[in-house]
This record gives sequence, structure tokens and C-alpha cells, in this order.
Amino acid sequence: MKLAGIKNLMQKILLLIKKFKSGDWLVILLFISLIFFITKYYWEFPQGQYLKIEKNNEIIGTYSLNQKNTFTIDSHMGASEIVIDNNRARFLKSPCKKQYCIHQGWIKKINQTIICLPNQISISVIGNKEQFDSINY
Amino acid sequence: MSFNKIILSLFLCLLYGCSHDPIYQKKHYIFGTLVDIKIYGEKEETATNISNKIIKELNRLHQLLHPWNPGIISDINQAIANDKSIYINNNEIINIIHDASTLENNTKGIFNPAIGKLVNLWGFHSETLPTKLPSKEAINNLVTLKPSMNNILIKNNILKSKNNSVQIDLGGYGKGYALDQIKNILSVNDIPNALINIGGNILALGKRGSKTWVVAIQNPREPGVIAKISLKPGWSIGTSGDYQKYLINDGIRYSHLINPFTGLPSQGTQSAIVLTPPSVNSGTLSDVYSKPLFIAHKNKKLIVAKSLGLNYFLIIMEDNSIIISRDMMNEISWYQEPDAKNIITN
Amino acid sequence: MTRSTIKTNSTDHKIAKLAAIAVAISLVEFFLPSPIPGVKPGIANIIILYTIFKFDYQTGVWVSLIRVFITSIIIGTFLSPTFFLSLSGALCSLLIVLIFKNYNKKKFSLISISLLASLAHIVGQFIVVRVWIIPHDGILYLLPLFLISAFIFGIVNGIIVQKLITSKTK
Repeated sequence: MKLAGIKNLMQKILLLIKKFKSGDWLVILLFISLIFFITKYYWEFPQGQYLKIEKNNEIIGTYSLNQKNTFTIDSHMGASEIVIDNNRARFLKSPCKKQYCIHQGWIKKINQTIICLPNQISISVIGNKEQFDSINY
Repeated sequence: MSFNKIILSLFLCLLYGCSHDPIYQKKHYIFGTLVDIKIYGEKEETATNISNKIIKELNRLHQLLHPWNPGIISDINQAIANDKSIYINNNEIINIIHDASTLENNTKGIFNPAIGKLVNLWGFHSETLPTKLPSKEAINNLVTLKPSMNNILIKNNILKSKNNSVQIDLGGYGKGYALDQIKNILSVNDIPNALINIGGNILALGKRGSKTWVVAIQNPREPGVIAKISLKPGWSIGTSGDYQKYLINDGIRYSHLINPFTGLPSQGTQSAIVLTPPSVNSGTLSDVYSKPLFIAHKNKKLIVAKSLGLNYFLIIMEDNSIIISRDMMNEISWYQEPDAKNIITN
Repeated sequence: MTRSTIKTNSTDHKIAKLAAIAVAISLVEFFLPSPIPGVKPGIANIIILYTIFKFDYQTGVWVSLIRVFITSIIIGTFLSPTFFLSLSGALCSLLIVLIFKNYNKKKFSLISISLLASLAHIVGQFIVVRVWIIPHDGILYLLPLFLISAFIFGIVNGIIVQKLITSKTK
């Protein structure tokens, strides 16, 4: 019984849509794209700072620095721990031999980055616009 | 109807324009370091293609130039250590050896890729941290033997060394050389605009659209950047620093850059940055020439820079004072303005 | 003294009837919740559009303006910011309809006019909000929501008006 009702409704809708003229579709299309672009423009990540964690060149996640949390990332070498606290982040534990990444300490400003080379894990603070294309080191 | 068509096609162009991101970026952990490739204004397919070619080349070079893994360099080093001669059928290696020799002479021996034994003695030839300092005796022994690329003779593809303490280590040469090879690949494949970063050593080709490529300079003591500078088309930038590979013993930091004359890790400098103008081997020079600037004594740095024809350089000393060329000073954009009292220029 | 009477003709009656319905709809709409108080989707536009296309543009303008004034008087928001919101929306909507009402009837039906009127209605209201009532860019984050609502109501209104006009002429 319900199916018949739905079918009926669909038929009615189809009939109505058939009444749309070619120009109408253009207006509809333009309206939808307007909505799309406005949404895209205004609903981008609000200003703030995030921690981007990458493993093997893939972004594992982007996390707000505005939290208290520890992330465990598994890699071929073992598990690494990255902690976010008090609007800053650092490597807490790492299976790498030299532990350079841990010794770098906390990062909190935009573009600050710590890379654990043997593990291929990197954390970097991102904001809105990047002011340069690459870092020389 | 034509009015509608116009609107529709305009709309489609807009959509296409929005989805077409003109920068292709790929990061790879290869060549023993982090490589960042940025290509501007090419279709994704083309960019991916060229990126793969670059990766392939870097893998090849990694194998070819590795200072201690099994390979041609290893074989040569072994032969030299045993006072034997060795036949080399690889012209590229022969050219590299000659080139390294020339550069050693240009830098009056401060850049010396023949001191592999010393580097090894300090523990920088392994994946693990050096834990203790070598003895003064061991250091002195190697220093007095005075290994040099000039000790190597190649004739009719046969390599021989007069000095068996020579051990070739192209660590301070490889990244720059790779940049030059990649420069050729991009040129041959008609890619005019790209930014290639190999372990911090960067080459800029063309521009980023209408804007010049811009690179930032790492703070040698904290994660973060201290300045940025435009890298004009064809220019390269290279850095030697004590903040990536080093050994800390008793609170003292020992960098991996060994002074060939003393056998000791160079001290007193945090980082030395050079920019080199477009030329066939600008990539190599940007890598190699940062070494003498780093190692040379503070009072000699400006002289060394002049003898190497460097117009763009920045050296950050241990006490945070700065030695910077006038040209560099004019173009650099500081994030943390350095204290005017601490600046020395040419 | 001669009794002066204002003679009303059938047009006036029509306008009054239509305006009354429009006001009624507006009152109901007033009680619907909205993320920005006062900004409404404009369901009463059905009546306005119907009036414009069944009768003529001028009649439609009358109905629209009467609706805005009477509604605000009844609710008690006359000359308040809400009133100006409503007025701005109505005026922008009317303007757009004036421009496009005779444009290419073969390719565009009432649906298009309704969509455009709906869009103008929301935009008109948003301009007043942004410039005067809440002069803060943060308000623009709500624009997407309202655009979606304008789109939906634009289509629905258009279909309903279409139906009303074609069925009534039979």
C-alpha cells in the first residue's frame, strides 16, 4: 500500500519536473553553483591552529591544537606517541634510534615542523596561508 | 538560445578553473632524506610522470654515491685502502671524482671529500648515534696522512691512489649533484617551472606562475623559520648546519662537518647558507660551497666567500651574531629581525 | 453635507482579498523559528507572484507592500528592524520580478522567476542584516543555509503558483 503511495508521489513529481523549461534548468544550475561557491568560501576552516600529522607522505590527520590529547601512530619501526597539550605539540615517544625528534621539544607556531626521518612521520603546525614555498635547512 | 549557451559555457569554465590546481606537490623519503617536489602549471598526468622520473633518478644516485653502502664508491675505497688499482667503466663516477677534486682545490682543501676515514672515526658513517669521542691519537694519525682527492689518479679508466688513507665520502656533494641532474631531467622534459627540495638543498626553476618562488630559512636552534628570500629562476640555495647530524658529549655539540686540517668537528658556527646563480653545476656549488663557509674560522669567512665568488651568503654564529653579504641583506626578509650590533657584512 | 464615499471597485476587492491571504501567511511564517530572527523564507511570495502573473504587476506591488505594512502593524514590529528586513526583502524581490517578468517566456517558466524572486528576497534581507542589524562578517556564515532554503522555497513556490494559475484559467 505504501509503495503505491510513493510511486504516485514520484509520478507527480516527475510530471511537475517535466513542466520545467530549458531556461529553468539553467537558473537552477546557476543557483546551485552559487550555493556551492558561497558555502565553500565561508565554511573553510576557521582561523586557528592545527597540527598536521603525516606518515609516509600521507596526511594522517589534522588536529586542533586546542585540546589535550595523545596520538599513537604505528609504523614499520613501532609506535610513536605525539602529544598535544596547552596549544602546542611534541613527539613523546619514538622507536627511532637517535631520538632527534623527541629532543626538538614543543612546537606551537605556524610552520614549525618536526620530522622523524627513519620513521617517516612528521608533525607540523599549520594556520591559514603559507608565506613561502619550501624550507631550506 | 545563444545567450544561454554563453552563460552555460562561462559557468563550465568557472568550474574547470576552480578544480584545476596549478601546483603539483609530492614528498618522498628517498635519497636518505626528505625530498619535496613542486611543479607548477602542468597537467597532473605530466607532473606525476616527471615526478616518477625524478624519483627513479634519485634512487639511482643514492645507490651510486652512497658513502658506505656496497657500491662503486665502496669498491674504490676498498681498492685504495689496499693499495690496489681498480678499473672503472662508469664515466659518471670518473667525472664526479674529477669535479670533486677541482672543488677541493677551489676551496683550498676545506671541502675535502677524501677524508672519509675521519668522518667514520667520528661515528658519522652509520645509522646510529656516535657515542664516544675518538682518541686524539687516532685523529692525529689520520690528519697527518693528509688524504686528498688530488692523490687519486685516473688514466685509461684505471684508478689508483698514491695515498691509501684516502676514502671518498661524497656526503657534502651528493644533494647538490642530484639537483643538477634533476635540473637536466626537467629541462629535457620541457618542464620550465619547478621547485625541488632535497634534504633542505633547493633548486628553483622558472617561477610559481607570476610570482617568484620563495624559500624560508630554518632556525638552527628551534623548529621554525627565521627569514625568507626569493629564489629567482635558476638559483639554488644550500646550507651547512650543526643542527641535523651531530653528537653531544659532555654538553658540547660536535657537528658532522669535520675540518680536514684539524681532524676536529668544526665549532663556532650554527649554520652557513649560500645562494648560487644559474649555471651548469649551480646545484652542486650550493651544496659544496656552504661547507668552507661553515668550517672556516670566523675571521676568514668573508675572505673564503670572496675567493669562491659568492655574493649571497648568510652565516649564523654560535653566539647568534650574523655574517651576511650585502646583496643577501638587501633581499632577505626577516621574521625575527637580528640585532644590528651583531651583523658583519662584506 | 454630501456623504463622500470612497468607491471601491472589483480590483480593490481582489487586492484586499489577496493581501489578506498574504498577511495570514506572513503571520504564520512569523512564528516559524529561524537562525536569524526576522529573516524568513518568504512563503507569502506565492501570493505576490500569483497576483503579478494572474493580474498585473502593479496589483502585485500593492499586495506586497500592504502585506509588509499590515503584518508588521498586527505583530507590532512596525518601523522596527524586523519591519525593514521584511520591506527590503519584498522590494528586492519585486525589483527582480519587474526586470525578468517578460524575459523569454518560451525558455523560462514561472519556476525561474520564483527562484530569482526568492533569491532576491533573501539577499535583500541579508543586506539589511549585514549593514545595519548585525554588522559583523560572522553573520555571513549563515548565508549558505539561507540560500539553500531560498532555493527550496523558490522551487516549491514556483510549482504552486504555476499550478494555481494554470488550474484557475481552466
